Amino acid sequence: MRCDFCGLEFNEEEARRACGGCPLAGMCGRLRCPRCGYEALPEPKWLKMLRSWGGKILAGYRAGVRI
Amino acid sequence: MGASQVKAVTYPEPVEEALAEIAVLLKGSYRVSPQAVALLLLQEDPEIHALVKDREGAGYGKIAEIVSRVRETLRGAVDEAVLQARQGRIAALAAAVVTESPPGSAAVADRLSRLMMNPWTGLPLLALVLYFGLYKFVGGFGAGVVVDFLESTLFDAHIIPWVNRLVDGHIPWPAVQELLAHDYGIITLGLRYAVAIVLPIVGTFFFVFAIIEDSGYLPRLAMLVDRFFKQIGLSGRAVIPMTLGFGCDTMATLVSRILETRRERIIATLLLTLAIPCSAQLGVILALLAGRPLAVLVWAGFIALVFLFVGWLAAQLLPDERPTFYMEVPPLRLPRLANVLLKTYTRMRMYFIEVLPLFVLASVLIWLGELTGIFAALVRAFAPVVQAIGLPPEAAVAFLFGFFRRDYGAAGLYDLYTAGKFDGVQLVVAAATLTLFVPCIAQFIVAIKERGAGVAFGMFFFVLVFAFGAGYVLHAILRLLGVTL
Repeated sequence: MRCDFCGLEFNEEEARRACGGCPLAGMCGRLRCPRCGYEALPEPKWLKMLRSWGGKILAGYRAGVRI
Repeated sequence: MGASQVKAVTYPEPVEEALAEIAVLLKGSYRVSPQAVALLLLQEDPEIHALVKDREGAGYGKIAEIVSRVRETLRGAVDEAVLQARQGRIAALAAAVVTESPPGSAAVADRLSRLMMNPWTGLPLLALVLYFGLYKFVGGFGAGVVVDFLESTLFDAHIIPWVNRLVDGHIPWPAVQELLAHDYGIITLGLRYAVAIVLPIVGTFFFVFAIIEDSGYLPRLAMLVDRFFKQIGLSGRAVIPMTLGFGCDTMATLVSRILETRRERIIATLLLTLAIPCSAQLGVILALLAGRPLAVLVWAGFIALVFLFVGWLAAQLLPDERPTFYMEVPPLRLPRLANVLLKTYTRMRMYFIEVLPLFVLASVLIWLGELTGIFAALVRAFAPVVQAIGLPPEAAVAFLFGFFRRDYGAAGLYDLYTAGKFDGVQLVVAAATLTLFVPCIAQFIVAIKERGAGVAFGMFFFVLVFAFGAGYVLHAILRLLGVTL
């Protein structure tokens, strides 16, 4: 994901590491930018799943495999 | 002159003089040049200071004096001066070797970006964003059209009468009837506040906020307000907690730990507690003042004045070095509808999950308070205070529950407003006092955790007294001037 404040590209693991020392680390449901500290909400799980399925189906068709 | 002797960057005069003086005083052996060591000393690098203290012995005292003198001359902005000198040199080098011919759209974006950061054009642009984004869309559409439909057409005309009938017809005990329905019931008050008043308002607010975020406007806003924030002891970086504060002050208080110094963190927490309304509170206040542009102007001007005055006062009382702020501004871009809708959805979902149980709990507490008589006693005790600032005694309820949840208090004011209990001046005074009123209980707990109990309690009592004092003064001034809003 990209930070809406400073534009840094980072992943959820890096965001988790940026929460070190926060009393709500891992509980607030937000992702913190490792560079500037701006916080955003992660993509909902259902959308991630939808994307993952869509990606697999698309990859399957591209490879010429029927799913 | 050999390439190694070419001076890469020329710093401001006080820095250059100090570099030369310190370089002469350095007798020990270091892996880098004396000038580089001197520069790190001026930037207060703790490891270099420890190393030089160890290797120079008695000579360190004279070096530390020079460092202090320069930092005093530049009012603590040594880092900023060094960064600006380097940035200037980089820009000059790049300009000498790079020829750039941006495509049309990039050139427009670049020009717009510069206009957003220039105070002469940036402030009017900010006013436009606030007017159309907050006043017209959140206040006019969200709080006007959508709330009107959900509250009047759906809840007041259909759901509430049906719930009242259903509860009265099936539950014989009046106490349980009151818990679920009628004036303070879970469904008729808690659910109605959450679904019909607060959710559409925060939904439209989150939509506008997502557009602002996705366009890349926030870092430009940080650059724009940097010079104003320096006057109140903060820097452009404080835009991060301040902006997040418009979403939720509790989370913003946690985020204020990204600020450089303890002084900045205390000032930011105080200003968040006092003068930054959370999304729901802001939306409901805009709903209260919708259709009265002068009232909005008086409220916004008063809150901005309080923000600057208290920030300035805090900066004077907590003297320290000026914070530095430097960031690379990412490109300006057209917001993508998919991103905006996704952000709005995720925020609304999270907000609703968080707010609904609390609103239900608030209704249960009111019910308990009604049943035991504690609620009426509290309202009676608090009524003289709200009457002193020119408000009807019923407004005490909104302020009492504003401490439990700021948005709950604001929704209570909205109810009183729709019942015709306020005139224009009272509306503005109520909105201003509730905006400045003590933080909700969650923010208060986070402030204790982050800033310590002494600072948090001190802020709590300061804000409590200041909010009503400011409300009293505003009411007196508006009545004295005979203003009608």
